[in-house]
Amino acid sequence: MTNFTRRSFTSALALGVAAPAFLRNASAQSATIKIGQVVPITGPAAEAGKYAMAGAKIALDEINKKGGILGKQVEIITEDDQTTNPGAVLAFSKLATNPDIVAFVTSIRSTQVHAMAPDIAKIAKPTMFGGTDPTLTKLGNPWLFRCRPNDTFSGKVIAEFGVKELGLKKWGIVHSTDAFGTNGMKALEASLLALGVTPVAIQGYANQSQDFTPVVLALKQAGIDIISSYFTFENDLGIFARQLRQLGVNAPWVGSPSIVNTTAIKLAGAALNNTYGVADYAEESSPEAKAFADTYRAMMKVAPDNQSSWTFDGMHLLAMAINKAGKTDPDAVRAAMLSIKGYKGAEGEYNFDANGDGLHGYNVVKNVGGKIEFAKHIEFPA
Amino acid sequence: MDIVFQLLFQGIGIGSVYALVALGFVLIFRATNVVNFAQGEFSMVAAFLMVIFSVDLEWPYWISFILSLGGMAIYGALFNLGVYFPLRHRTYLPVIISTIGASILVSNSTLALYGPQPQVLSNLLDFPGFNIGTVYLDTQYLLIIGVTVVLVAFQYWFFEHTLLGKKLQATSQDKEMASLLGIPVATMIMVTFVYSAMIGGLAGILVAPILFVSIHMGGTIALKAFAATIIGGFGDVAGAIIGGLALGVIETFGAAYVSVPYKDGFAFLVLVAFLVFRPQGIFGERVAEKA
Amino acid sequence: MSSMIDIYRASAQRKQRGLLAYIALIAVLVYVAATTTFDGYITNILMQAVTYSVAVMGLTVVLGLCGQINLAQAAFFGLGAYAVGLGTVDYGLSYWICLGLGLAVVFGFGAFLGTSTIRLGGHYLAMVTISFQQILTLVMINWIPVTHGPDGVSRILKPSLFNTPQSYLAFCVVVLAVVGYLVWQLPSTKLGRAMRAVRDNELAAGVTGIDIQRTKVTAFAICALLGGLGGGLFAGGFSYVSPDQFSFAESIVFLTMVLLGGVASPIGAVIGTGLLILIPEWLRFLKSIPGLYLAIYGLAVILIVLFMPDGIWGFVVQRLKSLRGSLRFSAELPELTLVQTQAHADEVLVVNNLAKHFGGLKAVDDISFVVKRGSVHALIGPNGSGKTTTLNVLSGLYTPTAGAVKLDGQDITHFAPHERTAYGLGRTFQNIRLFRSMTALENVIIGVERPGNPVDHAPIALEGRARAALNFVGLGDRADELVTSFSYGHQRLIEIARALAGNPTLLLLDEPAAGLNSTEKMELRDLLKRIAAKGLTILIIDHDMTLVSEVAEHITVLNFGRRIADGDPVSVLNHPDVVTAYLGSDANAAH
Repeated sequence: MTNFTRRSFTSALALGVAAPAFLRNASAQSATIKIGQVVPITGPAAEAGKYAMAGAKIALDEINKKGGILGKQVEIITEDDQTTNPGAVLAFSKLATNPDIVAFVTSIRSTQVHAMAPDIAKIAKPTMFGGTDPTLTKLGNPWLFRCRPNDTFSGKVIAEFGVKELGLKKWGIVHSTDAFGTNGMKALEASLLALGVTPVAIQGYANQSQDFTPVVLALKQAGIDIISSYFTFENDLGIFARQLRQLGVNAPWVGSPSIVNTTAIKLAGAALNNTYGVADYAEESSPEAKAFADTYRAMMKVAPDNQSSWTFDGMHLLAMAINKAGKTDPDAVRAAMLSIKGYKGAEGEYNFDANGDGLHGYNVVKNVGGKIEFAKHIEFPA
Repeated sequence: MDIVFQLLFQGIGIGSVYALVALGFVLIFRATNVVNFAQGEFSMVAAFLMVIFSVDLEWPYWISFILSLGGMAIYGALFNLGVYFPLRHRTYLPVIISTIGASILVSNSTLALYGPQPQVLSNLLDFPGFNIGTVYLDTQYLLIIGVTVVLVAFQYWFFEHTLLGKKLQATSQDKEMASLLGIPVATMIMVTFVYSAMIGGLAGILVAPILFVSIHMGGTIALKAFAATIIGGFGDVAGAIIGGLALGVIETFGAAYVSVPYKDGFAFLVLVAFLVFRPQGIFGERVAEKA
Repeated sequence: MSSMIDIYRASAQRKQRGLLAYIALIAVLVYVAATTTFDGYITNILMQAVTYSVAVMGLTVVLGLCGQINLAQAAFFGLGAYAVGLGTVDYGLSYWICLGLGLAVVFGFGAFLGTSTIRLGGHYLAMVTISFQQILTLVMINWIPVTHGPDGVSRILKPSLFNTPQSYLAFCVVVLAVVGYLVWQLPSTKLGRAMRAVRDNELAAGVTGIDIQRTKVTAFAICALLGGLGGGLFAGGFSYVSPDQFSFAESIVFLTMVLLGGVASPIGAVIGTGLLILIPEWLRFLKSIPGLYLAIYGLAVILIVLFMPDGIWGFVVQRLKSLRGSLRFSAELPELTLVQTQAHADEVLVVNNLAKHFGGLKAVDDISFVVKRGSVHALIGPNGSGKTTTLNVLSGLYTPTAGAVKLDGQDITHFAPHERTAYGLGRTFQNIRLFRSMTALENVIIGVERPGNPVDHAPIALEGRARAALNFVGLGDRADELVTSFSYGHQRLIEIARALAGNPTLLLLDEPAAGLNSTEKMELRDLLKRIAAKGLTILIIDHDMTLVSEVAEHITVLNFGRRIADGDPVSVLNHPDVVTAYLGSDANAAH
């Protein structure tokens, strides 16, 4: 301490005063473009979280191989949302404190997006998400961009396919009572009513049920000739599917996207044979989807599903929008994003509307002996 | 009428699962006076052991089964040494918290080691089920009901007619007296944990083909089993069985005739009603503490 | 030597200084919260920690003070949060009205759950609270028209007075500070002492005049209330609530928080809450392996329970205590006065044809006797003669099968223990029942506080009387020590002091000489004589013949549940039936 001269003190002080400005400068000049990802690493959706990270990672590698964004390499910073809403809020607010992060890829779960929405509005940076609750893009939050078709479309497509293609009128709907299931059921019911069909049985169940016998018997009693479903967790779907077949209900089944996801097919096995599912992602639906599937399979050794395809598209869309804007300024990126028309992603063709909905149609696929086959794409005008 | 039979079968089936887990609960409760909040993990761990042996290593079912139960015996012993034994002289609260900690530790360690993906475990028998009239009987559920009956009979015989069983009973009734009689109380408690872990594990292995194997499989079942033990009367083996079966039947019929989403609520509603309005119906006259 | 008033002043001054330091600390914290601009992440964490702490302090009251379990704190927290959320968003009510409504609802639920089930206690209470928690979660999810179902309630408003995150956080810190202060002070109030007494020894609490049921329900309702308050604050802070934030798992988290920090103090609640919110955040770097950090968290919970039984704060306090000397007061104390109620009649206790049967066993069969005012009456008999059963019937722990008991002219046969105490019955126990976590003084203060005690109930008078009572039994200079540090004989004296402090009309002593050595027995005999000299009526139950014959003026002898003799010591002790009962029929034949 003895050789601590006045001069060194002054220069230290000067450095201290200047440091924040210097650091801020350094961060603007940072070597990479950073994108934050909120993803379930623990909790019931941890499996899906792995897929979501893989999808984003594949896009990341592709973007970086093509020279990155604005000439810089891109980096993803992930935070665990623990599959809970408070977890998502904390994870997002943690990412939001990092000024280097220019945009976010968040959750496929609608309730989590609801929970994060106030913080997203506050930080005001473009945020891609996969939750399909239709209200999310009507919150008046300009920073939310959806990379999957919302549930009004899944309901419309299920109704259209079942009533017009299959010609069936006695509908039974089974749905989870969580946000996803309830909203999906409502959208489907509305679409059916629009086609002049009133469902004969609507059965809700609480997530993580161990037994679906009462549900199946109720469907049976109602004399349904077609089943549609909104399941959140694959183990529920697996138990239901088996009991449905065991109790002798063999009516055609058109389900929400979870019916064709990899884990559900593994768990339910033959019980899901010949079922239809609407899928925002279907491997055979386009060359882009096929290309993604090949890369994904090489990396993960399993078939891809919508858990990974939307994060893959989300990353590419962000890269495109920022490059198009020529800078990371949020308003410019937002304008660029909204101007994207006809971009062919793994999920389908993106045409962003003013609300921030990128996709407006669904694929219908069929499970043939455990293999997913593309059946039909139904698109609605944006 | 067929629907009633179908629901009854299903209710008894799922109720037997609750009863099996409740049996393990009651044994530990009687021996130590604590509620083990990590009871559900006994089932989960056993199911994962089964997956490791029979699916991953592709060993024959019976060998895997025996190894898994053996593994559960070791697990039960470790559980006692790590979670209960050091706290045996404290009140029930720290022990409850310690078992909660164990539950978090074990389920998340499993997640770390095995990943979050649910696993499939095949049925013990090749044919999944058959119809009697229009009532479908799932063989796996039949098996569970059968095992429950056998175990209850075994337990009755074991406690009433074997020396070890009688020693265990003496330990659970009055530890001080038992140790005066020369019964090694610590060993008896160890035996209880080992046996309870094996029963919980057996329930897990049996139910795995139906509910799949995941780190969350034990949680809900354990909570229902806990409710079953209360409805049946805490600390009573026959009560746990009756409570479990009653719970399974009540919630299945409740779901069918009242509301599916509130299914899990029926169990708890019945329980609260019982406790509030007829507590004496469950555990009889309470004798005042000797002053 | 200082006077009682000086002692009281000194301790009041100490308290005042503590309060001033506390206010200063809070002022600093509020200033920091109100003026520092935290980023969103830190604000969220602090907001969570502060609002959770309020709820966790509820558990400090119910679990730490009263020893009752509550596994539904997240449900109460959720009720408060939903009241604010739904009220401000759907019904456009003011934040304050919603918060008030929420507290009313929560208090109602807490009191209802408490009154209907708390008598069950222990594991049953655990189960009922779990059930309440599960049902409430299901209702939140499924009653969509009202609760918005699983979507939850978003865009909840903060009160206009505290519209920025900073000012709102500062407001929450103030609320936490006030709650913390109240919870900190609670143990040394009458209610708080009653809760601790119930926790330490329910039976003794009842016979010292505490309404156990009401005390427990009050503790439970306070716990629920603080849960609701925390929830209401939380809703304003996060502006979004959904059912999964208030699940059973969260109740477990609340419980772990309070145990981790230490149940005995609100500081423990804050420490536990802070740590359990921060630890998972600190461990985020372990996220590359799913499950690893929660596994470490689970392990930490077990280790803390194993190695820090009183929680982190309890651990710290113990270390501090060993550094600090204990306070000791000595003072001139007034002589203990025993005020007697207006004499109704010569008979203080009249027992008429009393019977208590356990199934076929007639433990007490048709016993009658009278205890005269101002006398020392002894009830004796060999082991198993029904003495203790009689005593338990007299003090209300058992309901008699038949017969009647009159105390001071009042039929008390169907009174609960604490009601008998209020009517002037005091007692001690054969196996000492003190409140083990308290000092000798606090034990005796509870005695002074018995309902119906005709003395001044101002704090200074309470303490003065309690010290005088301890002085009377010869332990005045050790009044501020924990009862566990006393010898067995001295603990018995504290128990007697506790009973005396309540000015009983009749003092029941259950085998007071049991377990005492011969010197202690001599001291006890002298003490009993001094008590008798003050004109107090005593009913003593013992089989120590020397003690009984020295102090008693009248003896009633029981055998096999029946009265076999009744009269003055000399005639009773020479009664042939008594000799047979005590020495066996052989002795009778030999003489």
